[in-house]
Amino acid sequence: MILFFLTSGLFLGWSLGANDASNIFGSAVGSKMITFRKAAIIASIFVILGAVIQGAGASGTLGKLGAVNAIGGSFTVALAAALTVYMMTKFALPVSTTQAIVGAIIGWNFFTGNTTDSKTLTQIVGTWISGPILGAVFAILLYIALKKVKKSTTIHLIRFESYIKTGLILVGAFGAYSLGANNIANVMGVFLPAFNLQDLNLGIIILSSNQQLFLLGGLAIAIGIITYSKRVMETVGGSIMQLSSEGALVVVLAQSLVLFIFSSTSLSSLFVKIGLPPIPMVPVSSSQVIVGCVLGIGLYKGARNINFKILGGIAMGWVATPVASGLLAFFSLFFIKNIFGIDVGSKTGLEVITTAQVSNSITSDADVSGIIKYILLGLLIFGSIGISYYLLLERKKKAGLQKSEEKFWMNMK
Amino acid sequence: MPVFTRTTKNLIIKIDEFFDNIDLGLLVFREAIKAYLQKDMESFQRHLHKVDSLESNADKLQRSIENEMITHSILPQHRAEVSTLIDELDEIIDALKSSLNEFNIEMPDIPESLNNNFISLAETSASAAEELIPAARAYFKAPYTVREKLLKVYYFESETDKISFSTKKIIFQEMKDLDLAQKAQLRYIIHHVENISDLAQKAADLLSGMAIKIVM
Repeated sequence: MILFFLTSGLFLGWSLGANDASNIFGSAVGSKMITFRKAAIIASIFVILGAVIQGAGASGTLGKLGAVNAIGGSFTVALAAALTVYMMTKFALPVSTTQAIVGAIIGWNFFTGNTTDSKTLTQIVGTWISGPILGAVFAILLYIALKKVKKSTTIHLIRFESYIKTGLILVGAFGAYSLGANNIANVMGVFLPAFNLQDLNLGIIILSSNQQLFLLGGLAIAIGIITYSKRVMETVGGSIMQLSSEGALVVVLAQSLVLFIFSSTSLSSLFVKIGLPPIPMVPVSSSQVIVGCVLGIGLYKGARNINFKILGGIAMGWVATPVASGLLAFFSLFFIKNIFGIDVGSKTGLEVITTAQVSNSITSDADVSGIIKYILLGLLIFGSIGISYYLLLERKKKAGLQKSEEKFWMNMK
Repeated sequence: MPVFTRTTKNLIIKIDEFFDNIDLGLLVFREAIKAYLQKDMESFQRHLHKVDSLESNADKLQRSIENEMITHSILPQHRAEVSTLIDELDEIIDALKSSLNEFNIEMPDIPESLNNNFISLAETSASAAEELIPAARAYFKAPYTVREKLLKVYYFESETDKISFSTKKIIFQEMKDLDLAQKAQLRYIIHHVENISDLAQKAADLLSGMAIKIVM
């Protein structure tokens, strides 16, 4: 039953993978620089790594917005957000998972009578504005630098494109890592106060309770990427503006930097050390940042190529997502509580919830930890076999092509 | 990863080799025309065989370049245009071969007084195509310089037209002793030689557009 409650979070993770991975590799896949399969494998691996290694940073902020203190509440909030994202993805709209979860948490706050922490909300909404602006600034600066490098050197076009392609893979991996680190909070953040699993020893590393949840969420994101992100990736690639290959590289790098900045605790500490204000650890909307980056390049080029109609549609999605998600969460909580009689949480007051306050809803079970261990191992083995099979197929395909080419020229002789 | 494979290097070498083939073909073409006009048929045949082998090698390289670009997803955004450019350049070497073949099959009897006109026609027409090669190479290495290089192509193409026009005028208006069949044959041969510069101009137009797109 406990694991059942996690399914909505996993569904949200799947939706995030299906939708937000397009922000990382959409430009590269859309511009046909990288095949979808290659992009999906790289994104899956690095999203999981980012989530497990650096996922804790942004998770705390969502807890401050509304610490969902019952597992039934976590389930419903995540489900409402996931359904919203799923519906938007279904219509190929690059929506924000961050907005969906924030809307759903506010819906929970309304339902349970909790006051939404306006300071945290302002901080989060602030990143909805600062994220795209920062993305646009980064994109413009990087684009100018890359253009200057290209103009000052006489690298062969094919070699240059090859560097860009390699760059897209490396930057895409960094972007996927940052996405995992920053956005895992959206997927698993609401479950953290309600789950307390035993440490999991995988031989090489020991995963804490939170890291196990992040790993599960990361795997759900990876499955979302592999199974459903293709269509959105192809839409994002050229919808707002047709991007050149170097434009695609700049957009992904700028976006990855923004995501990384808002999820790196070490960078924030460094800021404090040199006397600057700390960077807020907030789950940023990758969809909004990518739009900012693409717009930045578009504006630098003179705004001629920007498709403002599609941009308007995306902006509408931004407003509609938190509202729809909040309403859905509110009504779902009503049904779950009154029809199924499941506890969805209670009023906790203005103060931030502590572990002691949610002790009644904490789930600590050795069997659950055991099941999760086997699920994780199974998925890791399955993933490794899948990747090996893909590499084998690729090699076979290339050998086949080479053979057919040789045969052709033999016949010509 | 693409940077660590030899595919990129091999493809660059193949493209350069393809351009070398066209360049060399144009040189040999000039020599072949001169040899024909000097009635040195042995030398003409040798040059014809050389152009033939260069054309066949260019075909092989063209196919290999296009295949590699597709199978290794190289230049996805410019692939179609690069393929068209290579195709247009291949048409030039095809035209060289077919033009020399026309000489070889029809053995046109060119009056000695027209030798200079024909040499000049072949020289200018080949020069138009020759000037295209550095521009095509520049597309890959310094696209900003492509358009200035193409100016020479347009210049030689227009010169070819002028020479062709004046030669045809001499044949039809001044050479009263030639019969109409011979005049028509000479016009046909002139058209063949002139076609090389027309093809060069067509490729130059394409290249010019490609250069703008890549610089933007």
